[in-house]
Amino acid sequence: MFEIIAQNMAPIMFVSLIIFLLAGYPVAFSLAANGLLFFFLAVELAPYANGEITLSWPFLYALPDRIWGVMSNETLLAIPFFTFMGLVLERSGMAEELLDTAGKLFGPVRGGVAYAVIFVGALLAATTGVVAASVIAMGLISLPIMLRYGYDRRVASGVIAASGTLAQIIPPSLVLIVMADQLGRSVGDMYKGAIIPGLILTAMYAGYIFIVTMLYPKAAPALPPEARSFGEGAPYGPVMRAVTFPLVLVLWGMILLFSPGLALEMLALLLPPVATAFNANFTAQGPVIFAFLGVLAILYFGYYLFLRAVPRALSQGLALVFALFTAYSIYRAGIDLASRFGELPTIGETGIWFLWELLVWIVHDWIWYLAIFATSMGALALRHAPSVPVAKAVAKIVNDLLPPLVLIFLVLGTIFQGIATPTEGGAMGAVGAILLALMKRQLSFDLTRQALESATRLSAFVLFILIGARVFSLTFYGVNGHVWVEHLLTSLPGGEIGFLVTVNIMVFLLAFFLDFFELAFIIVPLLAPAATALGIDLIWFGVLLGINMQTSFMHPPFGFALFYLRSVAARVPYLDKVTGDLTAPVTTGQIYWGAVPFVIIQVIMVGLAIMFPQMVMHYKGVPVAPPADGGLVIQAPAGGGLGLPPLGGGLQGLPGQTAPSGGVQPPATGLPGLTLQPLGLPSPAPQGGAAQPATPDLGQPPKLN
Amino acid sequence: MSAALALSRAIDSVTTFIGRSASWLILASVLVSAVNALVRAFLNTSSNSWLELQWYLFGAAFMLAAAHTLKQNEHIRIDIIYGMFSRRRQHWIDLLGHLFFLMPFVLLMVWYLFIYVNTAFQSGETSANAGGLLIWPGKLMLLLGFILLLFQGVSEIIKKIAVMRGIIPDPTPHVSTHQPIEEAKPVDGVTGAEHV
Repeated sequence: MFEIIAQNMAPIMFVSLIIFLLAGYPVAFSLAANGLLFFFLAVELAPYANGEITLSWPFLYALPDRIWGVMSNETLLAIPFFTFMGLVLERSGMAEELLDTAGKLFGPVRGGVAYAVIFVGALLAATTGVVAASVIAMGLISLPIMLRYGYDRRVASGVIAASGTLAQIIPPSLVLIVMADQLGRSVGDMYKGAIIPGLILTAMYAGYIFIVTMLYPKAAPALPPEARSFGEGAPYGPVMRAVTFPLVLVLWGMILLFSPGLALEMLALLLPPVATAFNANFTAQGPVIFAFLGVLAILYFGYYLFLRAVPRALSQGLALVFALFTAYSIYRAGIDLASRFGELPTIGETGIWFLWELLVWIVHDWIWYLAIFATSMGALALRHAPSVPVAKAVAKIVNDLLPPLVLIFLVLGTIFQGIATPTEGGAMGAVGAILLALMKRQLSFDLTRQALESATRLSAFVLFILIGARVFSLTFYGVNGHVWVEHLLTSLPGGEIGFLVTVNIMVFLLAFFLDFFELAFIIVPLLAPAATALGIDLIWFGVLLGINMQTSFMHPPFGFALFYLRSVAARVPYLDKVTGDLTAPVTTGQIYWGAVPFVIIQVIMVGLAIMFPQMVMHYKGVPVAPPADGGLVIQAPAGGGLGLPPLGGGLQGLPGQTAPSGGVQPPATGLPGLTLQPLGLPSPAPQGGAAQPATPDLGQPPKLN
Repeated sequence: MSAALALSRAIDSVTTFIGRSASWLILASVLVSAVNALVRAFLNTSSNSWLELQWYLFGAAFMLAAAHTLKQNEHIRIDIIYGMFSRRRQHWIDLLGHLFFLMPFVLLMVWYLFIYVNTAFQSGETSANAGGLLIWPGKLMLLLGFILLLFQGVSEIIKKIAVMRGIIPDPTPHVSTHQPIEEAKPVDGVTGAEHV
């Protein structure tokens, strides 16, 4: 009898954990209690266990050190930082103004407000990692607009809930931080790996709206003309033409901040004299960037001045200059295309990828196309300058768009360029959000206190779950539970793919009932060793699970995003503010059904990420082979041999790991594309840094044959 | 019972005060962290003690706030089944949980952390990083956090018994995190932040 219990301690412990958790007492303490109870049982039964149990009383002395490990984990600091930032932003009014502006920009397109919601959702997601903020703002601002102009209620509510959850997968998301921590990988790598899936997901949401507008034009109509104006004297068309040039300048500025080399290359092409002057006067990169930003600002303000107040004759002259530049850009683009005529892809060489290759061939000279677009629109706008209302509308658009972009740079830009660790990125974002709220006069003592208390409360329960998990894992590993789980998972049929599919289905189902914190702290550490043993890259695995867990926010009937939307959507018929019509409320059924297509998109996205690991694997900086037609064969390298992190993922960070080794690294110049610096994060590597990110022994990325 | 309730109120007010004050440490931590990054970027220098300070502050914040979080009934539960129980049965789960899950764990941790902090204090241990901080104040935060939790646990048990006997109204009616959204209450202001 004792033998049976003692030799099957791990499964018994696991089942009893499920019972403990389902009883409904707080997770943190249930985990700890389960760990302690079985610790005593295990020590008592150790003589019967045939060596399966490696615990004895002195092991309890390890507990304080394990808790200290949780506390001294610098990565987890990002949790309160990003939460606090999100709460302050929610109150700063930034989301509202952004939605208002984006709604007008996209309005005239069919499904425009829905696109605006997706765009704003993605933009907010890139500033902070909190779902609540964007769903509530969008539910308050965009939902009434969509209902007013006859959007299908399911489409309207679904797109809002889903766009809000983008915050969970687009960096800097809390899910990815926790996942990186639990998998013992660097947050920076996790962020890099998640960018492309996040963007593809955003595009798929937009694609869904596009399909809806094609099949059911009435489900997502364009805004009527009277709703498109930017105010008296600022009709849609002229404002759009006038704002193109500034928006391209903003884009250039963002390229500069994220990839200075590329921006300087563009400068050398477009404005050679300025580039020459820079080269002559500056040697260091820092001043160049500041001077560059200065040039962009001067261009913008000069343009704005002409748009607003300069006598007509002068602005006509500037319009001519713009037009000449357009002509020059067309000429240069033509030359470039002609010079690469020999590389024009042919169907024979490329097969089914012909259209893609052709597109790549054409957009190779995108800098010139961008210049053509910006200057031609600018010329058209200046022909009708000056106009104060148009200029004001342009300024409002730029002013609404800049704050989130600046925040994105403060957070992601600094992380990717190796200036800051993810934790520090979160801190800078939080400071940025405070400054923004101050500028908008929205910051009060009460708001700060509430936001801090919420962030602290969240930290307390999250960190205590982690502490509980550490107590649990002490026993669970002592009774060889990790070996049992690993054996169970690696013996699944189908090898790597079989494992991934099974695990993802399991997580998808669990996500109906569990928060992602619960999933991440209890389930993920059990999966990680098995994944490593199968040679699965843990960043890829983490991003897959991240996309999957995103569904836990939109699963009917419990998803939090739906919950937030329900809380701000009308429950009773109401009078529309603009039209005065009686508008029907949004029913709960509509919110549920609206979410379903997006849950399906999410599942498709998980499948795509499994089929095309390159979209995540680029974090290693390996050249990504173009997808070739033919069967997908994923090699599972003979792998493992890694020290596996105990439950609670390598939190016994060595003291020496706290100092960021990233330091100040001058960003590489002259490299086109988003050049990502090695982050040198204090990676929470278990067992003395055995699992540094991107070391080849982790199993090379699955390759396509 | 009334004496016990008075004790419970006293404990609650102390943990509430400490928990709410501790949240300002998060702001301090934010500022320290942001300044660390800026100093390193612009002045090209860095200090381990400042890097350690940020998580000392954070650690103090969440440890000291844990008792307050318990008082507010904000420690997260899996309430898929719990939510279906009658309130009476939920009370029983909470009471038994306090007695047999929370208290043994917290008592044990207070005991072991006391030894742990004392060792660090006696040896004057400092962090292994060059220029790192003294370690015992950080470890002391763990101990203080668990002591506060111990007291709060006592207070919760008293309150739970009083609620079950109908002496006081339920201070923290169960709000499910997994209730169907039909029951969602309108949001005003900073709510729902717990579930990011």
